Amino acid sequence: MTGPLRLWSLPWALLYLRHEVLALPGRTLALAFALFLLLFPLFSQDPYWLRVLTLTAIFALYAASWDLLSGYTGQVSLGHAFFFGISGYASAILGRELGLPPGLTIPLGALLATLAGVLVGLPSLRVRGPYLSLVTLAFPIIALGLIFLFPRFTGGELGLSGLPRLGGSRLEEYYLVVLLFLASILVLWKLSGSRVGLLFHAIREDEMAVRMVGVNTVRLKLLAFAVSAFFAGLAGGLHAHYLRVAGPDSLSLFNSIQPVIWTVFGGIATIYGPVAGTFLLFPLLEVLRLAEELRTLAFALLVLLVMRFLPQGVVRGVLDRLEEECPRCKIRNAFTRKRCRACGVELHLGRPKEVAR
Amino acid sequence: MAHHRWLALLALALALAGPAAAQTLRIGILGPMAFVQGEHTWHGATLAAEELNRAGGIAVGNQRYRIELVRVDTNEMTSVTDAATAVERAITAQRVDFLVGGFRSEAVLAMTEVAADYRKVYLITGAALDGILAGRVDRNYDRFKYLFRVSPTKSSDLARTSLLLLGEVIQAVRRDLRVERPKVAILAERAAWADPLVETASRLIAAPAPQGYASEVVGTWRPSATATDVTPELTAIQRAGAQVIFTVLSGPVGVPFGRDWGRLKIPAAPVGINVEAQQETWLKATDNLGAYVATLNTLAPSVAITPKTIPFIANFQARFRQFPIYTASGAYAALYILADALQRAGTTAADAVVRALEATDYVGPSGRLVFDRTHDVTWGPGYTTGLGVQWIEGRMQAFWPRQWRVGNQVVSYAGVRPYQLPPWVVEAWRR
Repeated sequence: MTGPLRLWSLPWALLYLRHEVLALPGRTLALAFALFLLLFPLFSQDPYWLRVLTLTAIFALYAASWDLLSGYTGQVSLGHAFFFGISGYASAILGRELGLPPGLTIPLGALLATLAGVLVGLPSLRVRGPYLSLVTLAFPIIALGLIFLFPRFTGGELGLSGLPRLGGSRLEEYYLVVLLFLASILVLWKLSGSRVGLLFHAIREDEMAVRMVGVNTVRLKLLAFAVSAFFAGLAGGLHAHYLRVAGPDSLSLFNSIQPVIWTVFGGIATIYGPVAGTFLLFPLLEVLRLAEELRTLAFALLVLLVMRFLPQGVVRGVLDRLEEECPRCKIRNAFTRKRCRACGVELHLGRPKEVAR
Repeated sequence: MAHHRWLALLALALALAGPAAAQTLRIGILGPMAFVQGEHTWHGATLAAEELNRAGGIAVGNQRYRIELVRVDTNEMTSVTDAATAVERAITAQRVDFLVGGFRSEAVLAMTEVAADYRKVYLITGAALDGILAGRVDRNYDRFKYLFRVSPTKSSDLARTSLLLLGEVIQAVRRDLRVERPKVAILAERAAWADPLVETASRLIAAPAPQGYASEVVGTWRPSATATDVTPELTAIQRAGAQVIFTVLSGPVGVPFGRDWGRLKIPAAPVGINVEAQQETWLKATDNLGAYVATLNTLAPSVAITPKTIPFIANFQARFRQFPIYTASGAYAALYILADALQRAGTTAADAVVRALEATDYVGPSGRLVFDRTHDVTWGPGYTTGLGVQWIEGRMQAFWPRQWRVGNQVVSYAGVRPYQLPPWVVEAWRR
């Protein structure tokens, strides 16, 4: 339909927008969400809400990185804070010792987290299921032990404070984080939908079968650990410089469990699920500050209710009501359509009539 | 006509209400409100605000200000991120003018970064880490000059006091047990903050008099801060023949320590830091086995550190039915210090208030408060030092400072009684 020269032409973009994005409620919502993030400062530059959204974007990236590893490949990590925390520490130490700016130390921290991901991934070649989860849980505990062992270097239990800021103002920091977040999520989403993503899925479903068709699952599992750790590390570095503190809190069990809650709440193995989960739950906890005593109780009740009535997560629950899969060509359609947008088959077929006995 | 009368009345009401609304100082009280440390910060500040408002508020220049407290739950025990966000919300959304409180040092570091971004005067009342102020206020004055610490004394000063308490118990062992060179076991929780204290104590205990205690260190034991059983450590200490146990415990391990020590009747007297033993629930928590345990503390019943101590404790207990912990007396003093500085500054402008705060010389419930060049509370005789307390006859009693000589000064508070060795320790070593 479009030659290479016309690829970025306005009519093509409009057609793409109309037929590929606005045709599906899920994609429309994703576009609206990205626009909301990019345009929010036009309507409000309240530093508190900019802070909440910035932190939410950082944690959403962290949750999405967990989803790529645990949701897609089924390698459930209960120690994901290891990647998040060591990247923050690495960035802080590199900045302090070598005087490097955050623009350099954060990617370096993320690269160190990638190496750590490969290291943590090695046991996954031998242990599976709950055993692997327990092994991953051990890594942040080991890192904490090392931090307490070298307090002069790491600041001990109080961490390293006074890190340089990400930007000159809350607004600058907001745009930096949001643009990085959107770009990273796009990469993760594309990866999850690619051939590699399909193989990740397949490993989760039946690793033996994947191996039997000649796929090197060892390499794929290590790749999942490395990519996931890179993005968790990126989030950890941004977080440390945003708070201006890299402390043991970043390696806590609580910090390892948080992405699990956000992802399961939003919808596991989707990439956009953890993003939605974090963007719903993190600001909600802030709103609940109005009812200080009931804050955690209300939060826990909401999570329980959603899990009861939308067991696949909020995103899947909502999308299943807004979109319908064509029974013939398997393409998704808006619930308002009567016929499939690709093959034209009738979508809302009534229940087959009972055959008279 | 009637229409005009209503308008005039409305204008009058607005004119009256307008200045009154403007004459309110909003003070954000920060703390982990689900925990006793945060709750007492709030209670202490509430008591002071009520007293100040009853007395007509704070006179700043030509205006009088009423205090309005804003409760800010920092949730800092669980999440540092949450704590820093709570401070930003307090400053930008809740529009507080000043900040008071904070407890967990790691969280306070992040919280003070936000306060410094907004140039808000922040009086810390809970965190002890030296580095919250030292190395920040002195090295980067322009950014961090808005930070002050009212309580507690910083970690290194807490260490000095706890070592003085140890000296008191070593003296009691020499005097009552006639042991010339007492044996001391060090029991410190496995945490980074305890390391320098263990190192200093080891050196000081073994050093000859008058600089050191001319005693012997029989060993150092490092249980986890959350250990639920310290029987192995205690039996090893007993086997090592110690007469004194120097405790460095801030975590929940303090309770199992007290319970196991009392149950096993270990013939060694514990003294040092045991945060669990600072609370009025100590005996109940240890099934009454924690009697005779001695620890550093800030306040003790019936001990008048200053003329304000007893009235503060009495008012606090009457209002909240609890014995105040140090965050309560800190927050109480912080509000008075702030009120005093605002009156002297004659303006609410942050830089002028900082200058006035630097000239503070205020006598509060836990001692005289004068800020040093890093905006930290000055430690020493005539200033704030803390107390040594011991659980005797079912209640907390102070045993230090009592005839404490520093140069020409002698520090002694009314209501401080001599230290008592546990009877089974005396019995075991007199045989």
